[in-house]
Amino acid sequence: METFAFLIDGFAVALQPHNLMWALIGSVLGTVIGILPGIGPALTIALLLPVTIALAPTSAFIMFAGVLYGAMYGGSTTSILLNTPGEAGSMMTALEGNRMARAGRGAAALATAAIGSFVAGTIATLLLTFAAPAIAELAFYFKPADYFALTVLAFTSVAVVMGTSRVRGFIALFIGLALGVVGIDTMAGQPRLTFGMMQLLKGIELTVVLVSLFAVGEMLYVASRYRKLPAKITPTKGLAWMTREDFARSWKPWLRGTAIGFPMGALPGGGSEIPTMLSYTLEKKLARHDEFGKGAIEGVAGPEAANNASAAGVLVPLLTLGLPTSATAAVLLAAFQNYGLQPGPFLFTSNPQLVWGLIASLYVGNLMLLVLNLPLVGLWVRLLLIPRPQLYAGILVFAMIGIWGVARSWMDLLIMAVVGLMGYVMRVYDFPIAPVLIGLILGPMAENYLRTALAAGQGNPIVLVSTPVSATLMVLAVLFLALPPLLRRLRANA
Amino acid sequence: MSNNGTPDLSEQGGGREAASHQAPRPFWIGLLVMAMGAIWLYGASSLPQGARYAAVGPGLFVTITGAGLVLLGGILVLQIWRGERFEPQDAEDAAANSPMDKRAFITALVAVFLPVVIMPPLGMPFTATVAFALVCRAFGSRHLLMDIAIGAVLGSLAWVLFTQLGLQLGRFFPPLGV
Repeated sequence: METFAFLIDGFAVALQPHNLMWALIGSVLGTVIGILPGIGPALTIALLLPVTIALAPTSAFIMFAGVLYGAMYGGSTTSILLNTPGEAGSMMTALEGNRMARAGRGAAALATAAIGSFVAGTIATLLLTFAAPAIAELAFYFKPADYFALTVLAFTSVAVVMGTSRVRGFIALFIGLALGVVGIDTMAGQPRLTFGMMQLLKGIELTVVLVSLFAVGEMLYVASRYRKLPAKITPTKGLAWMTREDFARSWKPWLRGTAIGFPMGALPGGGSEIPTMLSYTLEKKLARHDEFGKGAIEGVAGPEAANNASAAGVLVPLLTLGLPTSATAAVLLAAFQNYGLQPGPFLFTSNPQLVWGLIASLYVGNLMLLVLNLPLVGLWVRLLLIPRPQLYAGILVFAMIGIWGVARSWMDLLIMAVVGLMGYVMRVYDFPIAPVLIGLILGPMAENYLRTALAAGQGNPIVLVSTPVSATLMVLAVLFLALPPLLRRLRANA
Repeated sequence: MSNNGTPDLSEQGGGREAASHQAPRPFWIGLLVMAMGAIWLYGASSLPQGARYAAVGPGLFVTITGAGLVLLGGILVLQIWRGERFEPQDAEDAAANSPMDKRAFITALVAVFLPVVIMPPLGMPFTATVAFALVCRAFGSRHLLMDIAIGAVLGSLAWVLFTQLGLQLGRFFPPLGV
């Protein structure tokens, strides 16, 4: 029951007035960017990083947690009212949610999404509370070879699962890995791939690449294929809220969605797309009402819960093993590194205030978001009235400020432009973006583990699979290559 | 899914051959990936692959990434040759299958590349104003003066706010020394 004591300490941190304020700022910001097109949680956190450096890490992470959860609430709002899912995780919500909205049941759909997100987020946070310390305990015994195997597993799963083609997934991953080796080699102190340029010695920053790929790449892409359609918002005013029957039909999908989302989110490569898809398929199979495809409330409740639960799940490997499994997790890891912190088993003992404050703030943020979103949804939706030219121009300006503010280097701006162009090409030819970021941030870590492990084993590569953990993980990594045909079948059924 | 799914290495139907001949074949992407790999391999060639005590030197990982890119680029070229199809990703506000608006794209691209040259000498607020107006133009805005004004206000406000927050953004307008 040690965990309870830590959690109570965590609440003592999260409930301090200034931390509550940061949680509120994060939740509002998250909701806003979840609703606005062209900007998501990973990009927002990346842009906030240089500004938050003066802040205490605990406050910064509490704000980031608000952004992370808030973006999901905002994302479901646009899915339901506009049929424009801002991210992969709310695609399934749009299927039934938008039909409900068009049938005049938009308010009920929004309510089941918000309450479902709250229920799932709270249960998943509870699971995180108890699972994370246990896994961190196990990770104490991990050797460099085990960590290396873990990163390899993360690489193959991310490259295989995200996107439509294995080859393109691996290309994205290897571009990230390649960018990660630029700069001074930390172990031998030798400059690599800098071609004599001083500005490249410090390496290529994750935030620069992330902002370029997401903000600049997206802006260029939308500019080249801009669809000038006025936003058509389905009105929700004066419509029926959730009825007793809606509640009766929603609570089981909420729980099932949570049960699917949390473990899938915690797995490398799980992300939010697959659990929401699974939840949708499951609810469709279980449905007694012949309503699917016409606006079934189960089809909103389940995927929304799965989406939120998977976001909490993503935090498990990040906090306990230092292993990011999504773009947002990658930028959170970069944030930890900015503060000189390395997430992993030692973070729980060296920085309990931060870890437990963050976990406690997830409970607080969830409650705040429920209050912010249910009554105020009409207000949030007005954000969509911002004219698109000025919105995308503003996104580019903020991206530029964020990148210029990192080091005031023209080289960073050049990297922004080139990587932004790459982001454009990747969108046109359907390459997944997240593997680039995972490769970039995990690559140097993988290399360190590889070199430490090999040095300990006098260069014999057998050492990489010499422990039960490393051998198992390596086998899993190979198995992942065989997974895509299975997934394709799943997608066809959905 | 098998009758109209996305083709990959294992799944190449002869029936699509005819259609794929008309589709564009972006060989250049595969070649670009291979070229990037070649640069990394070249960079690795001047680095020690092994080290006396550590068994692995700073060059090995660079070699692996370079070789990986060359190999994957080659596979992609092969896939394209066999008729791999590429479908643009969906995005809000964008029609994935509409033809590319070259003029808008180039205007937006100028807004992205211009700051590399004008940010250091002319400062952040001025650069932000120019980039803002260019992107608005690319998205079809016809109110140039209005966009310049909004961009200038936005850039200046952001400069003041972020400088207050401790972000180093340089001088407001370097040519005047302020």
